[in-house]
Amino acid sequence: MNGIIFENVCKSYGETAVVKDLNMTIQEGERLILLGPSGCGKTTTLRMVAGLENITAGTLKMGGQVVNTVEPGARNIAMVFQNYALYPHMTIWENITFGLFIQKIPIEEIKARTEQALEILNLSGYEQRKPNELSGGQKQRVALCRSLVKQAPYFLLDEPLSNLDAQLRLQARTELVKIHNLYRPTFIYVTHDQVEAMTVGQRIAIMNQGALQQLDTPDVIYQHPANTFVASFIGSPPMNLLQGAFRDGALWIAGCRVNPPTKWHTLLAEHQELWIGIRPEQCCLSDAPMLHGQIEFVEHLGSQRCIHLRLHQDGQRLLCMLPADQPIPTGTMGVSFSWQHVNGFDGHVGQNIELPNRISHNYAC
Amino acid sequence: MNRFTWQSALFLAPATITLLLFAYWPLLQDVWLSFHSWNMVSPTMKFVGLQNYLQLLSSDELIKILLNTVLYILVLVCVNFILPYLLSFIIAHRLNRFSFFYRSALFIPSTVSLAVASILFLWILNPLAGPLNIILSAIGLESPRWFKESGLVIIIIGLIIGWKVFGYNLILLAAAMVDVPKELIEAARLENVSNWQLFRRIIVPMTSSTALYVFVITVVFGLQYVLVPVNMLTQGGPDQGSTNLVYIVYQYGFVFFQTGKASAFAILTMLIYALFLIVKTKVLDKKVHYEN
Amino acid sequence: MKINSYRDWYWHILLLFAVVIQLWPLLFMLSTSFKTMDQIFLSTLNPLPAKPVIDNYLYVLKNLPLIQYIVNTLLIASSITLAKIITSILAGFAFVYYDFSHKEKLFNTLLLTFFIPITVVMMPNYLFISKLGLLNTPWGVILPQLADGMGIFLMRQSMRNIPKPLLEAGRLENASPWVILTRIILPLIKPSVIAMGIVFFINSWNDYFWPLLILHDKPTYTLPLALQMFISAEGGSEWGIAMAVAMLTALPPLLLYLTCQRFIMNTFMQSGVKG
Repeated sequence: MNGIIFENVCKSYGETAVVKDLNMTIQEGERLILLGPSGCGKTTTLRMVAGLENITAGTLKMGGQVVNTVEPGARNIAMVFQNYALYPHMTIWENITFGLFIQKIPIEEIKARTEQALEILNLSGYEQRKPNELSGGQKQRVALCRSLVKQAPYFLLDEPLSNLDAQLRLQARTELVKIHNLYRPTFIYVTHDQVEAMTVGQRIAIMNQGALQQLDTPDVIYQHPANTFVASFIGSPPMNLLQGAFRDGALWIAGCRVNPPTKWHTLLAEHQELWIGIRPEQCCLSDAPMLHGQIEFVEHLGSQRCIHLRLHQDGQRLLCMLPADQPIPTGTMGVSFSWQHVNGFDGHVGQNIELPNRISHNYAC
Repeated sequence: MNRFTWQSALFLAPATITLLLFAYWPLLQDVWLSFHSWNMVSPTMKFVGLQNYLQLLSSDELIKILLNTVLYILVLVCVNFILPYLLSFIIAHRLNRFSFFYRSALFIPSTVSLAVASILFLWILNPLAGPLNIILSAIGLESPRWFKESGLVIIIIGLIIGWKVFGYNLILLAAAMVDVPKELIEAARLENVSNWQLFRRIIVPMTSSTALYVFVITVVFGLQYVLVPVNMLTQGGPDQGSTNLVYIVYQYGFVFFQTGKASAFAILTMLIYALFLIVKTKVLDKKVHYEN
Repeated sequence: MKINSYRDWYWHILLLFAVVIQLWPLLFMLSTSFKTMDQIFLSTLNPLPAKPVIDNYLYVLKNLPLIQYIVNTLLIASSITLAKIITSILAGFAFVYYDFSHKEKLFNTLLLTFFIPITVVMMPNYLFISKLGLLNTPWGVILPQLADGMGIFLMRQSMRNIPKPLLEAGRLENASPWVILTRIILPLIKPSVIAMGIVFFINSWNDYFWPLLILHDKPTYTLPLALQMFISAEGGSEWGIAMAVAMLTALPPLLLYLTCQRFIMNTFMQSGVKG
């Protein structure tokens, strides 16, 4: 199969380890996102696939073959660089067709592919211009065009939208998915923007400090983050992580006693110190609240309001999203949530403790 | 910015006066001298109009001088332009390590005087006892008479100059090589380009502005560098076999003491240089890619 | 970035070959200068003489006015370097700080002197120096070389790289142009000035042709000129002594370069030359 397999892949520059023991399988034809903060190793991983970085240890397989020492040009990869890498002394046409001429593809075929690609990306008529005559968005599309005409089975993108302004980015995201659907190459896309990741990716690989945190579909990552890092990275505003302790059959958060389902008690007891994760939009006002706190600040976000609560007793912060048509609360506020939305994380290690979330009754919301 | 005041004139004066007095004024004097016949010592000069020029242009000597000059240029362009261009590409883009070492080491001869280089190679190439002769004898070859054979002497002198100037040009071109964005090279490598394709279609266009400069100084200064080794080693010989357009001025001026003829040659050289620069500006500058 | 570093070895071989060609003659010069006449002719290729001798150097010290030569060369090189630095900075500053009509034309005119071959200017300048009675003096050598078109270009270039707000802030303080030049600009372009100065010094130290015309008497010679004494018509020569003098001529610029190497390289690599 034409997938990409990482087996214990490591990359270090001298003493510094940039990618640590990466094990990952990328399916043929899928859109995979490498997501993470700056310095997490995602770009290095992408460049290792391209062959632009040496692999320090481990095995990289593409299409069943070990490719650790295969030249970049021999891997049949199309890549869109962050700064587009357009040759400034060549016209757009020459830029796009450069690789095809190197491969000695017949000229009619080159013409056909290029014209088609230009049309798809709305660049017809720009062939004779030079890169410095184009806007950022146009340059980005030329870079996409160049990769598209190659019709390679692997399509790598290194933060291709980060130099575009917000308006263009929206448009470009949908164009990228359209392009992928044209001939379904294996798409590997690096970004630090989680919205891009969630909208473009079929699966997301989240990385932090060189280690893979979680590899799954956007939904699963959103609902069941693998650890506290993923939990706080994904979602805007981020998931609330509240310190809690399990004692005497009950969970204590911010001095309040809450009662999780009995099914969970043994699991919770094993961990004692916990992080309880609940997303702001899954909190709601309640007359019989589980937690209560002082309202510090209210953010008006158009269709919603984000309430910043300082919980009584131990002063932890809780964010709560409420629809804007409800009256603005003031002073103290009581909050409840449903246990089926809760994720529990070990207090020391941060791993998700896998609370079984199918329960019969729910509280409040 | 201030208006033009006496202040700016003050700042400009030292350099401007020096250069006008010692660069442009002599040029005019040469024109004046070229219309006269003189031997640099006698108190009288004879006005001869265009006679010097006519003699110059109709002499057999001119052909030889021009041929020599062309041969010099060929050798210099190969050793001081093409070779450093290729090697700077290799050092900058094909090697992982030791780039600084190579650039430094190859630059060292550029710090040495051409006079030192001349006498050094005079010894090295000595056909009786010099080290090169010893090596050649060891493989059964005879040492040619380097400075006594007509075409060979130009090649040898060109190589001596090349030995010294190579490192300097290499550094200039390496600087241009480093300026080529790494991403462009990576994008090309993903297309499976060969080294030659990479060099010709991407590197050369992107380094062309520096390359053009290096080409110009190779020719303009290369011909002037010839003065030192020729003066020290061959004095223009054998039989004017190593003289060129630039050295002939020295010969007529300070050896044959025919100032008028010398000036005529000087003006001729100046005109050819000017033509060269004009061609460069009108034709080559357009083709060169300038990063703005 | 480069994946197959084990294939680089053939490039390294090629480059090492180039390095050998560039450096071997100098090493040979070094070793020959420490050999006796016999060693020179019998074990010519041997890089390490069995018993290195300093006879050649002693001979040079005793029989040639070596110190005088060194002083001459040092005086000329330093004076020219200093003069060129000063005139280039002043002129470069004028082009950056002031606006006047025909500014570009004047700049190009000054820059073009760089391309005027020495043979065009040598005769009239020689006659001029002669008229001033400065033949056979170091000042005759120095005088025509007080300014340099390329120097003006380089200084203007470095000064242009200084962000305008820094200069404007100075003007708001009512600082005179001289103060702006010396207190703001110069400290910021120090590396370029030094690198340029080193290049001027090395070139002046090594200069042969113009001093050849001006300095006729042996005591006035510079080191490169002294070398011509070792070229005899027959081709035979006191090679050991010649190499010793050559070493002494070559050593100062070489040492200057080696100590400031990183510095020079970095300045070169930064400014580059873009037409």
